[in-house]
Amino acid sequence: MSDALALAVWGSALATIAEEMGSVLIRGALSPNIRERRDASCALFDAEGRMVAQAAHIPVHLGALPEAVRAVRAREPRPGDVFLLNSPWAGGSHLPDLTMIEAIADGARVAGFAVVRAHHADVGGMSPGSMPQGATELVQEGLVLPPVRLVREGVMDDELLALVLANVRTPDERRGDLAAQRAACAAGANGWRALMARHGRDAVQVAGTSLLDYAERRAVSRLQGLEGANGTAEDILEGDGVTDAPIPLRVALRVREGALHLDFAGTSPMVAGNVNCPIQVTRAAALFVLRSLLDDDVPTNDGIARPIHITTPDNCCVAARSPAAVAAGNVEMSQRVTDLLFAALADAGVDVPAQGQGTMNNVTFGGAGWTFYETLGGGQGASAAGPGPSAVHVGMSNTRNTPIESLEHAYPIVIERYAIRRGSGGSGKHPGGDGVIRRYRVLEPCMVTLLTERRSRAPLGAHGGGPGASGENLLNGEPLPAKCRRALKPGDVLEIRTPGGGGWG
Amino acid sequence: MDVGGTFTDRAALASDGRVVAKKVLSTPADQGEGVVASLDGLGARAAAIVHGTTVVTNLLLERRGARVVLCATEGASDLLELRRQERISLYDLTRHHPAPLVPHERVVAVPERRTARGIERPLAAEGIGETLRAVLALEPQIVVIALLHSYADDTHERTLADALRAARPDLDVVTSAAVLPEIREYERTSTACAEGYARPAVMRYLSRLTERVERAGQPAPAVMTSGGGMRPASAAAQHAASLALSGPAGGVVGAAAVLRALGAVDALTIDIGGTSADAGLILAGEPLVESGGEVAGVPIALPRVLVETVSAGGGSIAWVDDGGALRVGPRSAGARPGPVAFGQGGTEPTVTDAQLVLGRIAARAMSGGVALDAAGASEAIAALARRLGSTAQATAQAIVDIADAEMARALRRVSVERGVDPRGCALVAFGGGGPLHACALAGALAMPEVIVPPFAGVLSAVGLALAPERHDAAMSLLVDCAALDASALAAAVEALASKVQGSARRTLARMRYRGQGHELEIPVHQADDGSSLRNRFAAAHRERYGFGLPQEAELVALRHEAGEVAREAQFARDPAVAGYDAAGHADAGGPADGAVVHGPRAVSLPDATLWVAEGWRASALAIGGWRLTRERT
Repeated sequence: MSDALALAVWGSALATIAEEMGSVLIRGALSPNIRERRDASCALFDAEGRMVAQAAHIPVHLGALPEAVRAVRAREPRPGDVFLLNSPWAGGSHLPDLTMIEAIADGARVAGFAVVRAHHADVGGMSPGSMPQGATELVQEGLVLPPVRLVREGVMDDELLALVLANVRTPDERRGDLAAQRAACAAGANGWRALMARHGRDAVQVAGTSLLDYAERRAVSRLQGLEGANGTAEDILEGDGVTDAPIPLRVALRVREGALHLDFAGTSPMVAGNVNCPIQVTRAAALFVLRSLLDDDVPTNDGIARPIHITTPDNCCVAARSPAAVAAGNVEMSQRVTDLLFAALADAGVDVPAQGQGTMNNVTFGGAGWTFYETLGGGQGASAAGPGPSAVHVGMSNTRNTPIESLEHAYPIVIERYAIRRGSGGSGKHPGGDGVIRRYRVLEPCMVTLLTERRSRAPLGAHGGGPGASGENLLNGEPLPAKCRRALKPGDVLEIRTPGGGGWG
Repeated sequence: MDVGGTFTDRAALASDGRVVAKKVLSTPADQGEGVVASLDGLGARAAAIVHGTTVVTNLLLERRGARVVLCATEGASDLLELRRQERISLYDLTRHHPAPLVPHERVVAVPERRTARGIERPLAAEGIGETLRAVLALEPQIVVIALLHSYADDTHERTLADALRAARPDLDVVTSAAVLPEIREYERTSTACAEGYARPAVMRYLSRLTERVERAGQPAPAVMTSGGGMRPASAAAQHAASLALSGPAGGVVGAAAVLRALGAVDALTIDIGGTSADAGLILAGEPLVESGGEVAGVPIALPRVLVETVSAGGGSIAWVDDGGALRVGPRSAGARPGPVAFGQGGTEPTVTDAQLVLGRIAARAMSGGVALDAAGASEAIAALARRLGSTAQATAQAIVDIADAEMARALRRVSVERGVDPRGCALVAFGGGGPLHACALAGALAMPEVIVPPFAGVLSAVGLALAPERHDAAMSLLVDCAALDASALAAAVEALASKVQGSARRTLARMRYRGQGHELEIPVHQADDGSSLRNRFAAAHRERYGFGLPQEAELVALRHEAGEVAREAQFARDPAVAGYDAAGHADAGGPADGAVVHGPRAVSLPDATLWVAEGWRASALAIGGWRLTRERT
């Protein structure tokens, strides 16, 4: 086979397996967050731990999974072992993202890794839903799992599973979601073995290498077109959930000889609250930004990450270390780093869209025997090409909404209003996309936790375009802080108005 | 009669089961003209006429449908714009979803609300009055009513529909629960809007067509649905959204008929045309039918014959990207200008040109007698090869291999993803390009045999002639299996069965574990109760996904199908019959019974070429067409 052919054929074959894994997960899972919102990603890694394919699900997972596989490989996986992990110090992102990694058995050797990361609706800790506001240590946020063997050479460790389930608020739902996750890993392992049976294991290895090289070539070729680009940007995060003090972020961006250099000098040290993120989340944001500069057909794999070089100060909130709390870092800091990098590109003269909503609007409810988590779309920034799309997730997420009917069927909540927030996109020749309005009325006593951003500092326009409207959180009509936790009584009404995107021109 | 982009195909099934086929040029401006033209020379009055149409598909693609006014629950009237909140492209931040079928200016908020727990805000008389005034002020061509939780209780939808009809008897009204009584408001609303959007045009088209066909002395046509059954024209006009994939469904139904005639059961199908390839799945002799999917960016959650389409066909253009990789498609040269070899002004090399360079196209001329420009094709491929630093032969082979990989991906999706092992299936390859790619695709999926059916170029039309009339009725239930006794189940099945007529009947239960959001369809047998259904579901779940759960199982919905038994064709290899009137093919009748061809060799078929690859042997089938198996080594 010629190289050119190998690329297209193998890219297609591997992507198909990753997509099959996703399909099995979504169809088998119990929690609306996985089955309806698809807050999950599936990927395949080769025996050397290089990500060769990822189904196109959630960008924040993309760059962060390789660290997880590295952590598993350091523990000498046996063929047929399935690891479970969520520790941000061993490849995890934040605790609700339970990552399952199967060491694909090929006789007596490990042929590769099937990886499924899914956001579970609860993993214990101080708040129902495990997305707490105000946590200052990782252990407050839930059960911490370094890579542990849930399955040893094909045999489930029921005691370990019982330990996990004993530490979460909704064990039956977790059991079902974990079963679906394991089935998805198995689908990936079977697909990988079928590929080896057909082409030979060496051919699969060679193909993985050339796919990675190809993606790298595409990324480098794009960066060479930006040779000499220099830009800096600053932004702030609106408090860490413990205090409202702004958290400054800064980056200097340079493109030299086909490489993208990012220096976060000047960015805040780690903070007390849980908006810190581990370095792999920052890398995921950088990867996303670079990926968005490439054409849609470039295969999504580790090769794109090769030309990215990140430096951070020792103590830095975008390269967090134990025992920092991180739940909101994965969802909100990752969005801000994305905005920051796009702003630095714009400063360097690269044509990028105006800012999108820059937050995932994390809303978590928890009552007696139930927890519910969702994130809300908003406005995308406008660009030279046209207006910004409305009511979509921007940046590092692309989860779906929870259908009103499914939500009301599963939880004691009524959605009083779900609408486009008209006029919230920034003005301009091309207006920014509009945000959304979602109004919840609760029917039972429960706790709600909000982790949101862009409530005081609006998404900026570009080339003279106006800013999008800031987001707003309201409880019975009264404003709530960007990050907060409140006890709700039956009849209380929570309204989230998500930010609009910036306008262009 | 099957209407495609280039040709309208007709297949006539004689009373003794024999098949006669004909091809005429399509008439895109008014599909009906081509359809009536294809009736020429049919002779006697047919007992029935079945039609596969792309009217709905085209209308959705071109956004040329009716002026719909949508009535939606107040507070949730932006659903069509909100979609499911996902962006269309993960990394291209400038792309938009296709515009909704109904702009928000034409959505009327209805003051009512039902929740999962019951009616919270009744639809009052003054609310009805306000809604009516608002709707009529918008001058609708048709009205769609889609209210929250109507899958469980459609009282408000019906009340409002009755009021609208009373006020304006000439105005057609569609309710979402009548179109799709299923949970998930966005998909239900979208499907109901597709129905309203397409219905007026479909009614016009079908009534004109019926009139013309009847004037030609033939019976009113029935229409193929996306689900693979047929409906009389009058009924089809009331189910416009169910015609969105009328065309591709016919091909899979035709392949299933051929398969049954051969006594085979499980197969994958591949229908390769000029711009795309459609893969399908046949289990136990029947096309697999699923619910859901999108057409032209519009979710339509109705039953449809499973078809996975990829942008790879004979006209797909080969090019080199900025990473130096050879790429094929998704751009296609289409019918005009077509591949370079067609000599109609095409300059970019296509899959067909590559096949010609590789010597796999036996014919010297294409349908209609136009000579193939082999030299032009060679030059275009050679130019591409020079950019890649490769030879023309290697480049041509790579182009075909890449197209094969795309098609294999579609085949894998319809099989592996549904728990079906392709190694236990035959591959039925048809359409103009199917027989050319068949061996490579079977090789890629380790499939043991290939069947190239008789009438490979017009198999979709054959499928239409064979399609059974089918009706179905559905009911949303959402009950725990533990709470379901045999008599309650039997009563529900009976209530459904009374709504539809037909002899061949079956009931399917959509089931899931409590808490899941997706269901499996499980056949319901007589004397079933909750526990026997649960056991059958658990076994199916384990087979499909590899695990079971301790949770209770839920019965989400029942669907009852009734219809005629599929007609059977007799594909006799009678040269006088098989040699249908497409110009330019000397050996249209094919070689005599029992002939064996060893690869590598090209065999010319009517409107297609069969490529028997090295290592394969092809034997002519008694019913026409070929069976390909691997040479014993």
